[in-house]
Amino acid sequence: MIEVEHLSKSYGANPAIQDITFSVEPGEIVGFLGPNGAGKTTTMRILAGYLPATTGTAKIAGYEVHQNSLAVRQRIGYLPETPPLYPDMTVEGFLYFVARLKGVAAGDRSVRVGAAIERCNLQEKRYVLIRKLSKGFRQRVGIAQAIVHDPPAIILDEPTVGLDPRQIIEVRNLIKSLAGSHTIILSTHILPEVSMTCSRVTIINRGKVVAIDTPDNLEASLVGAGYELEIDSDAAAAQQVLQLLPGVRLVESIPSLDAGTLTNRACLRVISEPGAEPGRDIVTVLVGMGVGVYEMRRTRATLEDVFLKLTTEEKLDAALPSESESIVSGEAD
Amino acid sequence: MGVVLGNIIAIYRRELQSYFASPLAYAIAGIFWLLSGFFFLVLLVGPQGYIQLAAIADLQGQQQGIPVPPIDVADIFLREFLGLIGSLALFILPILSMGLYAEERKRGTLELLATSPVTNWAVAVGKLLGVLTFFTTLVLPLLVYELITLSAASPPVPPAIPLLGHLGLILLAAAVLSLGMFISSLTSSTILAAILTFALILFLWVIDAIAKTVGGGVGEALGHLSLLKHYSNLTRGIFDTSSLILFASYIVLGIFLTAQSIDALRFQRS
Repeated sequence: MIEVEHLSKSYGANPAIQDITFSVEPGEIVGFLGPNGAGKTTTMRILAGYLPATTGTAKIAGYEVHQNSLAVRQRIGYLPETPPLYPDMTVEGFLYFVARLKGVAAGDRSVRVGAAIERCNLQEKRYVLIRKLSKGFRQRVGIAQAIVHDPPAIILDEPTVGLDPRQIIEVRNLIKSLAGSHTIILSTHILPEVSMTCSRVTIINRGKVVAIDTPDNLEASLVGAGYELEIDSDAAAAQQVLQLLPGVRLVESIPSLDAGTLTNRACLRVISEPGAEPGRDIVTVLVGMGVGVYEMRRTRATLEDVFLKLTTEEKLDAALPSESESIVSGEAD
Repeated sequence: MGVVLGNIIAIYRRELQSYFASPLAYAIAGIFWLLSGFFFLVLLVGPQGYIQLAAIADLQGQQQGIPVPPIDVADIFLREFLGLIGSLALFILPILSMGLYAEERKRGTLELLATSPVTNWAVAVGKLLGVLTFFTTLVLPLLVYELITLSAASPPVPPAIPLLGHLGLILLAAAVLSLGMFISSLTSSTILAAILTFALILFLWVIDAIAKTVGGGVGEALGHLSLLKHYSNLTRGIFDTSSLILFASYIVLGIFLTAQSIDALRFQRS
């Protein structure tokens, strides 16, 4: 549905994106993830036909976005970074205007506008001036204008930015409900958004693609899972033994949580090789050594770790996996 | 073709609708009608008005027994009045055109227009028609009370003359608005757009005077570009194809440049 090949764009001498290649299958939701200034908006604008690429091609539904601009524009819905709204229009009036602009036939307009209003939960604001709407409602009107003509492809540039947590969940559900019948590409720098809504992720940094995979695969393969242990022995000795086990990549000592009260305890973190499950062997070896195990906890890398690693160019071995349960709601810049 | 027309109508309707919601539009209409009504009264029945002047001239002629040349009050009045309205429009038109694109750029709605299946020139034509309709609405009431006044003139003034004058006014407005629209497309600051447009039309207004000082072939060529010269010809009831062509050229030039500048904007934008 969306095919991007070797896309590059420079502003003067500054390259914004370099050699970006990815594709989106029909009905898929693909997340476009990157820190601020990574080139997300530039890519979105090129896909929407707003900017021309310096080199490379981008095709939507088989049409090249620049050469066949008008054909592409009929087939996309686009929500720019700031929702393009006319403050002096009512929600309904604005959606009628957009429907007319996008070439929705006169007979279908009221049905399409009604459907978009319902989908975005705007019924109560239907006749309200956009000027009087809160940020969250404006964002929803922005999404409504992107889907009002029922386009096969939808491009959303940071659809949840500036919303409160409840609104974010609503918008995510809305986006998920659009999948299947629409192909969606959305950019974001909020990590949970990607793991919750997208079937695949493209991570970009400084204008280059650094990873393309499903959120699960990225979490599993790139950093590797691991364990955290609390034992009643000398950390260094256990570390040496565990290091030799198959499937263990790295063992390191971490500060004990209650080091002040229980001085004879030590905490270790074991990072396993991708796909390996050395947990059973670890316990066997420790018990064989006569070391008491007070706690053993499995840890998984979150998408945030993957993201940070890929975008900060740290050495792989220095990565610290954290708990899979942790809910990351902050924004990683 | 039908699609293009539909697009133009969509843009046109949005523009018109925005005037109803805009306090600026109401303020401009109020000031325009107030000032034009004031000019109308002062020129016609004020102490220095043309009726008074004609009456004084008549009286002096009778007293001194010399026959004075007759004064065509209706004709002079119409010409002077339209001249004043033209100057008033000089100040109002840049305010009408300043927001046409600058506002879209500032709000980010240009991104919507530029990614919708609409050509740049269709957007420009729709916007120009919208703002021109608003200006025509401002002018229409003047035409009504002029026609009422002129119907009392003897010998009667053919209605074609005021109509032609007003056609000239609207053509003048279309030319200025079209150029103003182009200037508005260059910046996201409405104030800057208004100032630059005002400077440009002031220049085109007085280019006649500049042309006379330059003289020669260049001077003559410059003189033809003058808005004032062609406008005052039309207000005198002189129907000249070259005036129509000049105004039409300005209009087309403005639309063309606007479409080009929006295209260029998309290429350089960072």
